Amino acid sequence: MKQDQKIVDGFRFLPPGLKAWIQTFIANGPVYGAIPWAPLKRPLNQTVFALLTSAGISLKSDPPFDMEREKKEPTWGDRSYRALPRNISEKDIDVRHLHINTRYIKEDINVMLPLARMAELENEGLIGRLAATAYSFYGFQWQNTEFLQEAIEPISRKMKQEAVEAVVLTPA
Amino acid sequence: MGLAARYLEEKGFSTVVLTQTPDFNRLVGIPRSAAVEYPYGRILGAVGDQAGQRAVLLSALNVLQTAKKPGEVQHLAYTWPEDSKNADWQPPEMSPLIKHYLEEIKRARKEQKR
Repeated sequence: MKQDQKIVDGFRFLPPGLKAWIQTFIANGPVYGAIPWAPLKRPLNQTVFALLTSAGISLKSDPPFDMEREKKEPTWGDRSYRALPRNISEKDIDVRHLHINTRYIKEDINVMLPLARMAELENEGLIGRLAATAYSFYGFQWQNTEFLQEAIEPISRKMKQEAVEAVVLTPA
Repeated sequence: MGLAARYLEEKGFSTVVLTQTPDFNRLVGIPRSAAVEYPYGRILGAVGDQAGQRAVLLSALNVLQTAKKPGEVQHLAYTWPEDSKNADWQPPEMSPLIKHYLEEIKRARKEQKR
């Protein structure tokens, strides 16, 4: 496939200062240890999927992610999460994120959380099933791993309850 | 997001992260990544572009199915149609973090120029 030939420029959309700054972290940071690995147990058309995004999406009927505290404490990010039923659309959601333009997600939720696209693949039999619930947390977690226990751990429990086997993650 | 993927993978879920900045894989060690050169906040594609979103999603699912080793990154061939300067992905107001570290960011830029 031709896809193997392109190398993605991970900094194409960043202004030069931000690019230089982020590159210093990547170059100087510690390198990870062993990588966990749980390969698919079944083909895609038999697998149960869930979606997880860090875009700061909440239902209008739930409290939005907290941006006010972050405005006062620039290295703090909301560590909570929201469950999102699979049948929602952009009209049902609020989006809070201080590091991206949230306008596009509010116009079409599928640019970050492809619920409608996954439902189409399910109808066509290309995936086994999309779970009843998708999830969002807030991706700005500056040098902090507490969100893993506060958001990702309860999300993983709910995923198990819904028999999820594979997860597509979409960072904002 | 890479840390979340690692956490889920440890719990037995198969994961794939769609990412704009695969370079972070060096720090995080993400089980499977599909890298796509799209602006932040629209990782599946443009508003209303159902065919384009579907293509990116299917490519990510393909990575889930074909990745052979932990840490694998597959680079997707899709090209964003706009010039990066016109993508308008940044927030209307400078983020609190950038404001907080603005001097450090300027310094990093100067040092890179040297």
